[in-house]
Amino acid sequence: MNRNISQCIDVNSKYCPCLLAETNQCIFCSHLKGEMTCNCNWAGVCILYEKHWQYKKIQQECEDSIKTRMEEEVTFTVKEQISEHTYRMELQVSNEFAEPLMSIGSFVFLKRPNDPAFFYFPVNIMRVQDNTLELVIEAIGPKSIRILADNNEKIVVRGPYWNGVLGQPWIDNLTYGKIILVAGGIGQAPALPLAVKLMNNNNQVTAILAPGKVGKIFIEEQLRELGVEVHIVPSLRKHGMPMLEEVLHRTPDLVVSAGPDNQHYGIIRTMQAADINIPMVATNNATMCCGEGICGSCLKKVQDNKEIKLCKQQTDFLNLIED
Amino acid sequence: MLKVVVVGGGWAGCAAALSAAKAGAQVLLLERTDSLLGTGLVGGIFRNNGRYTAAEEAIAMGGGDIFVAMDANARHKGISFPGHNHASTYDVTTMEPLVKKILQNYGIEVRTNTRMVDVLKCGKKIHTLIIDGGLEIKGDVFVDATGTAGSMGNCLTYGNGCAMCVMRCPSFGPRVSVTAKAEIKELMGRKSDGSFGAMSGSCKLCKESLSIEIRDKLERDGVVVLPIPERIQKDSSLGKKACTQYAIAEYAANLVLLDTGHAKIMTPYFSLEDLRSIPGLEKARYEDPYAGSMGNSVRYLGIAPCTNSLKVEGLDNLFCCGEKSAVLVGHTEAVITGLLAGNNAVRHCLDMKYLELPTTLASGDFIVFVHEQMKVEAGLRMRYTFSGSLYFERMKALALYSTNRIEIHEKVARAGFKDIYNVCLV
Repeated sequence: MNRNISQCIDVNSKYCPCLLAETNQCIFCSHLKGEMTCNCNWAGVCILYEKHWQYKKIQQECEDSIKTRMEEEVTFTVKEQISEHTYRMELQVSNEFAEPLMSIGSFVFLKRPNDPAFFYFPVNIMRVQDNTLELVIEAIGPKSIRILADNNEKIVVRGPYWNGVLGQPWIDNLTYGKIILVAGGIGQAPALPLAVKLMNNNNQVTAILAPGKVGKIFIEEQLRELGVEVHIVPSLRKHGMPMLEEVLHRTPDLVVSAGPDNQHYGIIRTMQAADINIPMVATNNATMCCGEGICGSCLKKVQDNKEIKLCKQQTDFLNLIED
Repeated sequence: MLKVVVVGGGWAGCAAALSAAKAGAQVLLLERTDSLLGTGLVGGIFRNNGRYTAAEEAIAMGGGDIFVAMDANARHKGISFPGHNHASTYDVTTMEPLVKKILQNYGIEVRTNTRMVDVLKCGKKIHTLIIDGGLEIKGDVFVDATGTAGSMGNCLTYGNGCAMCVMRCPSFGPRVSVTAKAEIKELMGRKSDGSFGAMSGSCKLCKESLSIEIRDKLERDGVVVLPIPERIQKDSSLGKKACTQYAIAEYAANLVLLDTGHAKIMTPYFSLEDLRSIPGLEKARYEDPYAGSMGNSVRYLGIAPCTNSLKVEGLDNLFCCGEKSAVLVGHTEAVITGLLAGNNAVRHCLDMKYLELPTTLASGDFIVFVHEQMKVEAGLRMRYTFSGSLYFERMKALALYSTNRIEIHEKVARAGFKDIYNVCLV
C-alpha cells in the first residue's frame, strides 16, 4: 500500500504524460519535475520515455497535442427525485466514454453546454450499464443548481477521472475478507459500486447506512440484493458510531467510509477508541475544479509537510492532515 | 553475529560480500535482477595492462578468489590487441553461476529479484532497507554497490535512450541508490564535452552471426582486428565513452573484436547497416545491448562521496564500492574496491581502524589518486582504470606497474598487507 501513496492515478493510462509533465510538475517522474537523475517510485513505466514519444508524435504531426479528457454533450433524464435537492439521473454516452468509467473511484465533471468551463463540478459514477451512466447529484451549489434549472435537459460531461476513492488498491485487491462499509447521505452513491466490487471479490460486507443531509436511504435494496448485511441508523454520529464500534470487534479486514470528511474522521476516532488498527478506504471529498492537478483547488497537506493533489494522487486518508 | 547487507550484486557487490564473509560477518547480498555480476555479464576483459598488477595485489592480499575464478573460466589468456597487452578474457556466458557458487560456499545469502527501494535512517546510521513490495531488511552495516548506470530516464536524458542492455531496468525495475535514498548528495561524472554521464564503451555481437573465418580466428586467437572503411569511421563518439582506455584513434580506424563468449566490439554504438558493410559482418547482430545500433547505457550518474577507506561521507554505517565509489572503469577496479569496502564494513562493527590500501601499491594509489582528481570538474570528465589512459601512465611513471607475480607479492608483504583479507576479524 505504501508504494501507492502519492502515486498518480493516471500513470499507465492514455492521459499520461499530462499537462503537469509538460509544465515540469509531474507528480511521478523526477526528471519531469526538474531533478537531475532518475528517482521515481517505479510502477512499470518510464514517464520520461512516454513524454519523449508523445513529443515525437506531436512533432511528426501524428497527434495534434497532449491527450486531454473527452467531452460529450448529451441529454439526461431525471429518473427519480430522491429528496428535495437530490436527484438520480441517467445519461447516455458513447462506448468509448463509458468503458473507462467502470473502474473503482471513477467520476466525471458536468456543466451546462453554454456555461463557461469553471461551471464544471465533479460527480461520482454510481453505476455504468452498457453506455448509460447513473449518477446522483445534490443540486445545492451554484454549479449543480444550473444543471436542473429552467427544465434543462442537456449537459456536457467530461471524463474519465479515477481518483474518487482513496485507498483504491485495497478495494481492487482484497478477496475473502470482512469489510465494514459506512455510508452517509450522498455518500451512498459512491458506496454502491464499492459494494459491488467487494462482493464480486467474495468478500463479506456489513453496511451501516444513514440518510444524512439527503434525508433518505436510496441504495438499501441494491445492497441487499448483492448479499450485503445492511444496518440502517437515523444518525451516524449518534447511532452509527456505537454500532461501528460493536462490529469492529468482529475483526474486519477493512473499513470503507463513503461520505463527508467529518464522517471519515469520526470513523478514525472510533477505531482509535476501540484500539483497532486496520486499513481504511475513504471517498475523496477534495474540492476539484480542473481535475488535472493544475488549478490547485484539490491541494491538501499530508504528513511530512508535503502537499498532494487529490484529483490525481492516491494516499492513505489517515495521512491527510485534518483542516 | 554482525550482519553486513550488500546492495547490488555486480562484481563490486560480489567482492564486498566475499571479503565481509571472509572477515567473519553474516552477509546478505541483494540483487535487483535474476543474476549476479551486473555489467560483468557482458564485460569479460581482465589482466590487461595495469589490471594484471592490481589483480595480483588482490590475490596477495587474500582476496583472490574472484580472480582465480576468472582465470579458471578464461577463454583466452595473454592476448594483445591495440593498446593492451597480456589481457585475459573470461567467458561471460558461464561466469555467473560459478561466482554465485563461490559466494554461497562462503555462507553468503544471495537474494536475487530483490530490489531495494528506500532507506530508513536513524540519525547518521542506516537502520532498515525497504525492498520493493514492502519487505524490510535490517543490518548492522551496509555496502552500496548499486552502481551508477541507468535507469531509462537517465539513459534518455544523458544518452540515446534505453538500449535494452544487460541492466534490464524495464523488466526488473530501475537501480535505486542507497546513498541517494539516505539523502547524501551524489556526484556525477561528465563526458569530455562537459555534459553528465558517460556511455558504456562496448557492445557484444552474437558470435554465430559472424562469418566462419572471423569466428574461427576469434576463437583461436581471442582477437580479430578489422579495418573500418573510411566512409563509416567516426571519432566523435569516442569522447562520450566510459572506457577511455579504448577511446584511442586505433579504435576509430579499426573494429577490434574480442572473444568473451560473445564477440565484443569496442564502440559504444554502431549503426547496424554500417557494421554490416564490413566484410565478414554481413549478417552481424547485437547481443548486448539489443539496441546496440542506437546507444548504450549511461553511467556515472550517482557517485557516492567517500573517503579512501570507502566509507560514504555523511553516514556512519555505509560503505561503497565499484563505480559507486569513484569514476572508475572495469571489473578489476570494481573487485579491488569491493574487497576493501566489505572488509571495512566488518571493521566498522568491531570499532576497528578502517583499512586504507597503501599508496606503495597500485590499488592504494589508484583510490587516493582518483578521489583527489574528482575534487575538480576536469577530473570528473576523466575515467580511471589500471588498463589505460591517464592512470596507467601514472602507474608506469611511479613504477607501480609490474607483471612479475613474485615481485608484486613481495611488495604487498612489505606493505604489511599480505593475506589481510583472509583474516577473520570477528
